[in-house]
Amino acid sequence: MSRFFTTGSDSESESSLSGEELVTKPVGGNYGKQPLLLSEDEEDTKRVVRSAKDKRFEELTNLIRTIRNAMKIRDVTKCLEEFELLGKAYGKAKSIVDKEGVPRFYIRILADLEDYLNELWEDKEGKKKMNKNNAKALSTLRQKIRKYNRDFESHITNYKQNPEQSADEDAEKNEEDSEASSDEDEDEDGVSAATFLKKKSEAPSGDSRKFLKKMEDEDEDSEDSEDDEDWDTGSTSSDSDSEEEEGKQTVLASRFLKKAPTTEEDKKAAEKKREDKAKKKHDRKSKRLDEEEEDNEGGEWERVRGGVPLVKEKPKMFAKGTEITHAVVIKKLNEILQARGKKGTDRAAQIELLQLLVQIASENNLGEGVIVKIKFNIIASLYDYNPNLATYMKPEMWQKCLDCINELMDILFANPNIFVGENILEESENLHNVDQPLRVRGCILTLVERMDEEFTKIMQNTDPHSQEYVEHLKDEAQVCAIIERVQRYLEEKGTTEEICRVYLRRILHTYYKFDYKAHQRQLTPPEGSSKSEQDQAENEGEDSAVLMERLCKYIYAKDRTDRIRTCAILCHIYHHALHSRWYQARDLMLMSHLQDNIQHADPPVQILYNRTMVQLGICAFRQGLTKDAHNALLDIQSSGRAKELLGQGLLLRSLQERNQEQEKVERRRQVPFHLHINLELLECVYLVSAMLLEIPYMAAHESDARRRMISKQFHHQLRVGERQPLLGPPESMREHVVAASKAMKMGDWKTCHSFIINEKMNGKVWDLFPEADKVRTMLVRKIQEESLRTYLFTYSSVYDSISMETLSDMFELDLPTVHSIISKMIINEELMASLDQPTQTVVMHRTEPTAQQNLALQLAEKLGSLVENNERVFDHKQGTYGGYFRDQKDGYRKNEGYMRRGGYRQQQSQTAY
Amino acid sequence: THRPHAQMIPSAEAMASRKEGTGSAATSSSSTTGPAGKGKGKGGSGDSAVKQVQIDGLVVLKIIKHYQEEGQGTEVVQGVLLGLVVEDRLEITNCFPFPQHTEDDADFDEVQYQMEMMRSLRHVNIDHLHVGWYQSTYYGSFVTRALLDSQFSYQHAIEESVVLIYDPIKTAQGSLSLKAYRLTPKLMEVCKEKDFSPEALKKGNITFEHMFEEVPIVIKNSHLINVLMWELEKKSAVADKHELLSLASSNHLGKNLQLLMDRVDEMSQDIVKYNTYMRNTSKQQQQKHQYQQRRQQENMQRQSRGEPPLPEEDLSKLFKPPQPPARMDSLLIAGQINTYCQNIKEFTAQNLGKLFMAQALQEYNN
Repeated sequence: MSRFFTTGSDSESESSLSGEELVTKPVGGNYGKQPLLLSEDEEDTKRVVRSAKDKRFEELTNLIRTIRNAMKIRDVTKCLEEFELLGKAYGKAKSIVDKEGVPRFYIRILADLEDYLNELWEDKEGKKKMNKNNAKALSTLRQKIRKYNRDFESHITNYKQNPEQSADEDAEKNEEDSEASSDEDEDEDGVSAATFLKKKSEAPSGDSRKFLKKMEDEDEDSEDSEDDEDWDTGSTSSDSDSEEEEGKQTVLASRFLKKAPTTEEDKKAAEKKREDKAKKKHDRKSKRLDEEEEDNEGGEWERVRGGVPLVKEKPKMFAKGTEITHAVVIKKLNEILQARGKKGTDRAAQIELLQLLVQIASENNLGEGVIVKIKFNIIASLYDYNPNLATYMKPEMWQKCLDCINELMDILFANPNIFVGENILEESENLHNVDQPLRVRGCILTLVERMDEEFTKIMQNTDPHSQEYVEHLKDEAQVCAIIERVQRYLEEKGTTEEICRVYLRRILHTYYKFDYKAHQRQLTPPEGSSKSEQDQAENEGEDSAVLMERLCKYIYAKDRTDRIRTCAILCHIYHHALHSRWYQARDLMLMSHLQDNIQHADPPVQILYNRTMVQLGICAFRQGLTKDAHNALLDIQSSGRAKELLGQGLLLRSLQERNQEQEKVERRRQVPFHLHINLELLECVYLVSAMLLEIPYMAAHESDARRRMISKQFHHQLRVGERQPLLGPPESMREHVVAASKAMKMGDWKTCHSFIINEKMNGKVWDLFPEADKVRTMLVRKIQEESLRTYLFTYSSVYDSISMETLSDMFELDLPTVHSIISKMIINEELMASLDQPTQTVVMHRTEPTAQQNLALQLAEKLGSLVENNERVFDHKQGTYGGYFRDQKDGYRKNEGYMRRGGYRQQQSQTAY
Repeated sequence: THRPHAQMIPSAEAMASRKEGTGSAATSSSSTTGPAGKGKGKGGSGDSAVKQVQIDGLVVLKIIKHYQEEGQGTEVVQGVLLGLVVEDRLEITNCFPFPQHTEDDADFDEVQYQMEMMRSLRHVNIDHLHVGWYQSTYYGSFVTRALLDSQFSYQHAIEESVVLIYDPIKTAQGSLSLKAYRLTPKLMEVCKEKDFSPEALKKGNITFEHMFEEVPIVIKNSHLINVLMWELEKKSAVADKHELLSLASSNHLGKNLQLLMDRVDEMSQDIVKYNTYMRNTSKQQQQKHQYQQRRQQENMQRQSRGEPPLPEEDLSKLFKPPQPPARMDSLLIAGQINTYCQNIKEFTAQNLGKLFMAQALQEYNN
């Protein structure tokens, strides 16, 4: 191959010499001299196309030539300049390139330049000798080309893999150029023609040599396959190559076979452009072609007719005729896999190769074992495609991956005799012995888990408000289906551990979804039982609740890793809570004792825990259990970091505190958007429950100096509301709640109600509940009750007695409810009153101290402490004497106590004696 | 907490003018002010220079008007009293208000203002001698540091000056509340020293009862005005005269209690502070004692071994005594508490009387 390079560069130098002339000379000048002519008009049209393309390409080639010259004289500065120009020129030629594919010569110069620069870079000695400008240019250029080449990575690797073709092509290219210029310079042309010939004659042998290396068992068909392969690579790797060859063929065809071109009619239009170039070449080449004809002896003919469509997508793999056996395929597989993870490997190409291999294997009926094995590897390399954990799969890759896994599952289901497992050693694999069960190393579960993670990653990285997200979300069904299949598969074959894992996956995809069907079924009670049963049969069997129950119970029973169980419990609770099964959810939460040790869990589990707690709180709220709701939400809400704690976004505040790494980690923890819990809903639920608790409490302890607040957050909101200099009608959810609280404080439940439940709040919050109307009714009732309590607390001092009927009218509650509420208040000693049954009135006792009395009591208390403090000062002054007073006082007190209580008892005991 | 007192400062120039004024006053009525001069001379010995304050009706009205127009709630109004000293009697014949302080006009020159006012008043032949200042109060909470400092600087510059405290709330209830206070000579001494440590106060023998002395007030009107008053009294309706019989007064008591409680809290804190100080001092004393003992023992040993004794060290450097807390604040608080208590006592006594009266009336009616 090195020889190709040398020849290549030879011809190159020549062509670069002739290149200068080429610029000045009109391109179409030598048309007239062509002995072989096609019809005139056809040529005309073609000429137009040609000039557009060639103009750009000429520009490029000129620049490339200068670069090569500069490379030769080690003028890196020049190289840099030219390279920049080249980049610009390429940009201009972009439209053509898009149509034609990247020209080989362009890739070639990029690759060569990079190699050359690396060489220079390595050469420490030479670098030292270099002058300053050059050294500087060298480093800049090196960086630039590295960056630039990244866009052409696949092309360059392609080129590097089979440089001889491109060299070949390049040589021909040069040849062309030189031919074009040869009108004026016959000698030179002769030389280049000679070089070309030399090269061309060697090319096939080179090919075959390379091929020989690859294939051990080359049989008599080798010639065929060689041609085949030659052709294939050409067509896939570079269009220009095939065009070139086709061009040749057309030439041949036009000479020998009139009908030949028709076979190629369906080829790209671009080829036509090449055709006339080839024709132009033709008279110069005729001699050479004769030789070539002899060389190839019909090989090229067969190519044209034969496997064009079939082999087109296949890069070199096996010789066509090679007997494809297990050994061969496995060997090839290992060969491909060896490159995996290495630096220069083109991961995309690898995947392609593997896919081809599968195709070959299936075509040759190598058995499912091999296919399964290769499929495993395809999926693995799909996952490998992104070198970075943070980046997510491209959609097409993702699709491929899903398909692949589906296919794999198909195979596994179809062939129950295949055993898959990660514990099967490479050596003990059985891929083809059909008599025994097939054994393949690989873990389907791991693949699926990884797939699930990839899915999460995709969702995390998609803008949740875009159509794209919806598109991606559609894949969720597919993911679920796959997980379900794996679950079915593993239920038959897997270990309990694996089953637990796959169950957890299933659970994770189920727990957050509200089961509308089951809900519907619940709503339509079994009045028309036969009909609903029918419906049930239609609505594919299992309620998600039943499913969750089954999966979770299995995990509770069988799982040995704590984490899976914890997750399962949390999901189970979440699911219960989501479906308003409050008592089950609460009991499970309490029984699991998760609250005690959740702080030792890893962050994702903690996030899940937080989510569960929040869901639990919201569930309690829906059931009208405000206190429970408040308690459940308190932890999350009081920190003011609900967003962060639920994994629904990063806080800006702490953005400065963490570094990039931490941020990345945190980003990976985020919950995808479709799992989010609405934060406004959460806050609203919390605030409303706080309001229902706090307002009556505040009213009850109005004059208490040492009252505690139940909810700091709520008080904060109230204070914010108070601080407003001008109070407009409420806009936000919080303002609504604050306004409602104020109304409630006055016992004005109607205003409170209208603030809590109205159009705005419905849209923002209440409609988000599955049973919105039920929740609203519950809320109204709660508001009425708590307003009544507040009213009684606040205004009881004004009344001597109040009729319960009046109260029931005021708060639109029925009499028994009012009765029960007041009774409860009396029992709890919140309200000093008694019920007068015959008149249905509440009679206030007025045992509560008045404001003045309260103040006086407080003052007395304070004075007490003041005196105590003062006495301590006295202690200091008096030193030892201080004790005397104390003792005496204590003694007095004791005495008093004795008189009061002990004495009585003593008397009693005396009488008993 | 709610008294944005501006400190009243008699300006140097005011003092100068005052000095000059007293000079002129002395010359003008030299024959009559003999005892006053004597009183002045005796000021240091314990007796106050002023035995009585005589206020013109005009001054009272002006003060009331000032508050009504400018003061509200906890806001306090202040002004300057003008008059002259006649024997041991301070006659206040005129006054002018001080503009309210706001954040905006921080560069307002009070001294300049006072001077201008007095000069202008002199031009229209009004008494222009600076004899003190007045201040309104909110539920009698005037015993503060600011008032102390102001009055001290007044009394320091103009010995006879008094501060008039006007309580608008009590006045609104039907009885004019206007009181004249002076710092006792003892307190003056202490303030001059600027040493408020416990020892200094002890030495000065100051208690909260002996901080301020109240000077009796006489309101004097011209005969013509007296005649007019009699006329008016005849004409006014009965209801107007008996505001002080109003029974609704719980709010007043509540407020007083609240304020009293706040003060008690402050007092408590102050005592705790003092306690800590005491404990620290005694602890240090102990340490010091121990250290000395150890020193002594060591020296004894050294002596027995024939070595020279250790050099004497400055103990005060080793044991820095803790900073004694200023006791003036607690004195003031105690004074304030005393005022509140008196207020409450007075108030409740009055109210009880009123209630008994009401009861008796009711019984009589029934």
